[in-house]
Amino acid sequence: MGAHISIPMYQRAVSQKYRMLAQKCLHCGKVNFPPKAVCKYCLTGSKFEHIQLSGRGKIYSHTIIAGGGAPPEFAAEASCKGSYPVVLVELEEGPKVIAQLVNPLDREISVGMPVTAVFRKIYEEEGVIRYGFKFMPAPVS
Amino acid sequence: MEGVAIIGAGQTTYGDFPNKGIKELFAEAYFEMVQSVDYGFEPQMLHSAYIGSLSTGSGFQLGQMAPLLMGHVGLPHVNAVRIENACASGGFAIYNAACAIASGKFDLVLAAGVEKMRDVSSNKGRYWLGVSGDTEYERLAGSTFAGIYALMAARYMHEYGLKREHLSMVAIKNHRHAVANPKAQFRKAITMEQALNGVPVAHPFNVWDCSPTSDGAAAVLLCRAGMAKNFTSKPVYLRGFGAASDYLAIHDRDSITSLAATSKASAEAYKQAGIGPRDIDFAEVHDCFTIAEILAYGDLGFCEQGRAQYLLEEGITQLGGKLPVNASGGLKAKGHPIGATGCGMACEIFKQLRDEAKEDTRQIKNARLALSHNVGGSGGTAAVFIYERGGQ
Repeated sequence: MGAHISIPMYQRAVSQKYRMLAQKCLHCGKVNFPPKAVCKYCLTGSKFEHIQLSGRGKIYSHTIIAGGGAPPEFAAEASCKGSYPVVLVELEEGPKVIAQLVNPLDREISVGMPVTAVFRKIYEEEGVIRYGFKFMPAPVS
Repeated sequence: MEGVAIIGAGQTTYGDFPNKGIKELFAEAYFEMVQSVDYGFEPQMLHSAYIGSLSTGSGFQLGQMAPLLMGHVGLPHVNAVRIENACASGGFAIYNAACAIASGKFDLVLAAGVEKMRDVSSNKGRYWLGVSGDTEYERLAGSTFAGIYALMAARYMHEYGLKREHLSMVAIKNHRHAVANPKAQFRKAITMEQALNGVPVAHPFNVWDCSPTSDGAAAVLLCRAGMAKNFTSKPVYLRGFGAASDYLAIHDRDSITSLAATSKASAEAYKQAGIGPRDIDFAEVHDCFTIAEILAYGDLGFCEQGRAQYLLEEGITQLGGKLPVNASGGLKAKGHPIGATGCGMACEIFKQLRDEAKEDTRQIKNARLALSHNVGGSGGTAAVFIYERGGQ
């Protein structure tokens, strides 16, 4: 038994999950992601323009979900990998987002580590594979 | 605004009770509460009941749980309503009861909470424990509640130099406190070596950093302060009650090393009581994970933000210290039957402030003012209460 996110509900969030489409507040100019009806920064603006996030950011905090502690819909993944990292990332446009970290480096995950978003399989429900974004360590430039 | 007093309180032992459902658990806490009222109380005098629960018996009774439970104890016609704010459901039951009395609408109100967690498969348990956060984003990142609090812990370590051992000091202290508490689920002291080396859950947490799943119920009887002496010579006055909310998802919050809901709720409670954190003699705080107690110290004003580890190092928050925290054992060792937890904290404080924590090693002596703090999920909601010893 997993957290139930129906296909229609998931579909309504496709622009966030697939393309990281965010809202720029026309009142204060700050970027909201995931979307809000009222801007979470100025608590006033309710009109937005859509912008695409770069997917680039830095690790704000991190954890490693142990196999036995994974939510049931991620249990198969956890038993396969043993455990998996989850990170809270501060994106360069301002918002923070939470997602899994893939391809972690050999060294320890740390606050401030640069990462970039990648499109990945998230989990499967109602026979449909749900895709979305995860993060991976940013390539050294 | 009318003053509010507590004149009775009762709770089940927390733990694993295969032969009891929510009706039996609720009845046990309710009857202990009735027994605890010194004189003059008849159940038919109750005007209203607020009952906190997240899962309503693991989902067996989705709607109208409150009249089901009240009918079970012979009070089918009392206005009864279920209150849900995840792990703060019990605290919000008390908050609503206190507001109802303060408004002048009611004189005698029951606040209670119940949770049946041990009936479910571990898969189902992990399912419904994880869906009081932001399901669409936090949960689909593969995180659990432990994972969300682990993110807070890792950031606190980064910002303030908290060490892994400080987390364990919370677990060791609360387990030691629970040994003498007959209502506690785990009455067993643990060593630093054990606390550091449990089965991993979500780094940096192992199983000793996490509160257990528990069955249990608690019930508190509140009345208009002016009539408290009709029922007891030793009422406990509710001098302040505050509640607040925050963004449900941690990615929407400015800071994850502080729970804004706790800060705001405690500021409201302190202001109403006309006191500050330095006046508090002891507290029951929401330690669902070890980091949660550490965050609470700063958010409740027990120390400056980021300096909670020094309270632990100096033993200030252990029994015998200047400000004992979680003398009951806390959620960590007393147990955490979600909907009951906030009311169970009030039961502990009611006993302590009436010098009725009979086990000598547990009774906090000469205390006048106490505080309880109940958090919903990862801080989407919080309720804070300030109690004062009455009588004598």
